[in-house]
Amino acid sequence: MPPLGSPSKELDLKHEEKIVQFVSNVRNGKIDGSNNIALKMLLLLEQIISECENATALELSGLVREVGRRVCRALPQELVAANMVRRVLRAIRDEHRAVSDQNGGSAEGATESLQRLVLAAAARRGTLGSAQQDLREPLRDHIAEVRAEIESGCGAVAAMATAHVHAAELILTHGSSRLVERFLKAARKHTHYRLLLAEGPDVKESHGMALRLSLLGIPVTVISDASIAAVMSRVNKVVIGVRAVLAGGALLARAGTHALTIAAKHYSVPVIALCPLYKLSPLHACDHYGFNALDNPRTSLSYEFSESGDVHVEAPRYDLVPPDHVTLFLTNLGGSSPSYIYRLLSELYDPNDHQL
Amino acid sequence: MEIDKENVVQAVVIMDTFNNNFSPITTNSPFALLSVAGVPLIDYVLESLALGGVGETILFCCENGPKIKEYLKLKKEEKLPWSLTMDIQVLMSDTCQTMGDVMREIDAAGLVRGYFILMGVNSISNINYAVLLEQHKQTCKKDKGAAMTLVYKKVSWQHPITRSDKPIFLAADANTRKILMHKKYKAKSSDKIINLPLDIVLNHSEVKLHHNLVDANIALCSPSVPPLFSDNFDFQTRDDFIHGILINEEILASCLYYTLLKRDEYTAAVTNWKTYQVICRDIIHNWAHPLSIETGTFYQNNFVFMGNHNFRSINSTLSRSCTLTEDVLIGANAHISDNAILTKSVIGKNCVIGSNVVITGSYIMDNVTVKENCKIFNSYIEHDSLIEEKSVLEGTIIASNVNIKAESNLKGSIVESSVADKEKTLSKSTSENEWENESVNSEDDEFIGLDKEWSDSDSCYSTDSSEPTSLSDSPVPDDTNMFLQEVIDSLARGYEEKLKCDYLILEINSSRYAYNIQLNEVNFFVVKALLSIPILTETKSVLSTIKDIWKYFQPVISNYIKTKSSIMDCLRAVEDSCLKSLWLEGKAGQIIHLLYDADVVDEDSLLEWYKELQEYKSPLVGQSSVVKFFEWLQEASEESD
Repeated sequence: MPPLGSPSKELDLKHEEKIVQFVSNVRNGKIDGSNNIALKMLLLLEQIISECENATALELSGLVREVGRRVCRALPQELVAANMVRRVLRAIRDEHRAVSDQNGGSAEGATESLQRLVLAAAARRGTLGSAQQDLREPLRDHIAEVRAEIESGCGAVAAMATAHVHAAELILTHGSSRLVERFLKAARKHTHYRLLLAEGPDVKESHGMALRLSLLGIPVTVISDASIAAVMSRVNKVVIGVRAVLAGGALLARAGTHALTIAAKHYSVPVIALCPLYKLSPLHACDHYGFNALDNPRTSLSYEFSESGDVHVEAPRYDLVPPDHVTLFLTNLGGSSPSYIYRLLSELYDPNDHQL
Repeated sequence: MEIDKENVVQAVVIMDTFNNNFSPITTNSPFALLSVAGVPLIDYVLESLALGGVGETILFCCENGPKIKEYLKLKKEEKLPWSLTMDIQVLMSDTCQTMGDVMREIDAAGLVRGYFILMGVNSISNINYAVLLEQHKQTCKKDKGAAMTLVYKKVSWQHPITRSDKPIFLAADANTRKILMHKKYKAKSSDKIINLPLDIVLNHSEVKLHHNLVDANIALCSPSVPPLFSDNFDFQTRDDFIHGILINEEILASCLYYTLLKRDEYTAAVTNWKTYQVICRDIIHNWAHPLSIETGTFYQNNFVFMGNHNFRSINSTLSRSCTLTEDVLIGANAHISDNAILTKSVIGKNCVIGSNVVITGSYIMDNVTVKENCKIFNSYIEHDSLIEEKSVLEGTIIASNVNIKAESNLKGSIVESSVADKEKTLSKSTSENEWENESVNSEDDEFIGLDKEWSDSDSCYSTDSSEPTSLSDSPVPDDTNMFLQEVIDSLARGYEEKLKCDYLILEINSSRYAYNIQLNEVNFFVVKALLSIPILTETKSVLSTIKDIWKYFQPVISNYIKTKSSIMDCLRAVEDSCLKSLWLEGKAGQIIHLLYDADVVDEDSLLEWYKELQEYKSPLVGQSSVVKFFEWLQEASEESD
């Protein structure tokens, strides 16, 4: 996917160092979890924006875009980082439009429609250069808003637990996830349900989560992910965490999730995917070769065994789950079906920024 | 940001291996720049150190220092992650010939402030160094003498990585993890018996034995390590150090510990072509995560995953009809033509592979051109070489800038370009027979090619040079031979010049430490030396001379031959000398009699020894003098009864 549009911009030495630091921290696992990555990425962008000398809309968007490109090339799997870049770019555009509206009182209406989005796209890009205001101050507010949204996102999703988990239901989940854990804990406050936890590739974390939940008084049964299909007929609901939701409603989740959703579909068990808004990505599955990244094979076979020297161990990091396997996405804004994702995306990002 | 100098973790990386396992590739360019799966070794090392929480690294180069400095400068400009978090100091010294010299230099310069990590540039690992060093500090708190903690990874004994290197045998206290015995075997050694000293078992409630360890050449050291090297100038390699410490634990007041890595940690060291091959594969298979083929490029995702662990650089071009079977890595701007079949290979940057070429298990570096219809198996081709049409290479090492003529057929050879006359020639080629023998022995087809080179270096293998530390090119048997010679020399001189026996004992002891000889061997060799003093070969009346010598060296003998086991050593030495030395032929009985008279040996040991002789049918049993002596002994004992 070669980047289109503006030629790559030279970055400051200082900025470059910050990017390197961020990327190596993510790569080494010092920053983990998409929530943390999103917050740290936002912080990085904020720092870079506030240090920018000539903070016009054009200048800023070029800078942010370039940072985004670097980070995305180094971290193709971490889609939330790219999402944050898109959010900031969108904020720059909005701010710029607000400023030029004030100045010129242009014909652009207050409401957005699909038609307007399509028709106005080219025009908006063209006008990015005209205003010369310093956008840093208003952008800071925008970024603070996004940060508040990320921080409250998980809570908002968890708060919906009562509406979806009912008494005496048998819930199945896969692997460990902070968000799912929070969701299930919130559900426990109101209802009594039973939980089946299929251990993911991260066996230790899965067990840890099972332990914490059972301490709260939830009856938890840990099963191997090989036996998911066998128990699926008894399950009332499947709750999964996601790594990212793609345009069109497909989702990217921990390896093993696809097998689970296939089983759920076979038995017509509803699948609820928890995805705060920052995990929504405007990419399509075919856009990106980073999706089929391999993980360290030790999750499936220990290096100690002599077989590890002779066999291929393919340990994919993510599974791509098609949209028709998911019944409902729970975002900060409430439940939405996979076919509605496109609408959420158009609210969050500017179509010009889909490709960084 | 203020950095607390005291708490910064220091690492010392030795940039040379002091052996020629990788010659001629490493003769001109530094070993640190040897590319493993497309990335130079040094990048892996620096990245893993930075990941492992090391704050300051000292790179010690003995050869090619300027080249490494230049390379590091280049990489720093690229802003790699390690350049931001780690202080790097490059030291150069042309005089250092061994790892021991390096440590002495470090001690003299006072470079390390406290506990530090010592590793070779060939170690590839994703461990957390800071945590391990902290563990070592805890060990030191419990035991003030703890000098070094060796880092090992446990794997199955059939794993290729252990199969390709010298196996280690380790005996340790299970509770404290203190090493009690450390032994390295020769590759394909026929030794089937391991002798474990009894006191190891008696003195420790639980002893752990390990035979399936991967040595990554990483050690966690106390501040006392560099001074130990300075005090013991005969420590040349890390193995010398380990053995020296284990033998003289009381004298040096230090001891060794070991630690095993967790399941999810990877560690290995590139010591020869075979391990090179295994490690390349491991990196491509992502075992060493987060070290990967993208290390050293700031992860700019230059590689596309194509399934079956094939990776190609984004801007490489592949013909539609070429086949990548498995584990293939193709570098930037490389071109693979029609119908080429690639398996388990690494193709460098800007390479051009012609049509109908078959490449299997080979490592082709940058800017190499392989013309049509070539077949390359298990070979290593250094950068800027040209392989012309229809060549067949098998297990061949080709140095840089070599031009292989069309239709040449090379098997198990090393090809270098001679710079002098600019004409590319085949300068070194081993005999085909030897190579074929080797391939028959080798069980694993995969390795045959590079295995050859490995077997080639087998001779230096026994010299310990696989441990990337030693240069002393004296094989183990030579060591003992030299020791024997030295003992003979000092005894002969002592006898001629009538030196005091105390001095001679000192002399023998010092040579013993120099050659790292076990105590029982010393007993054996001293007696053997006594029976091989040059005067004996000249004199007519051998027996009377021996009697004189024996009398003169009485203090020396009584110093060594004290215990029952030493008496047996002595008798075995007599047996050995009598069988091997011409001048002693047929005089075994008399010599034993002399020993008996001099009260060096007692009756019981003699009888035991005689039994032993009879058991394995030594030719000595048949000798009339021996028979007579034992008859006499029997009678004498009966009489006294």
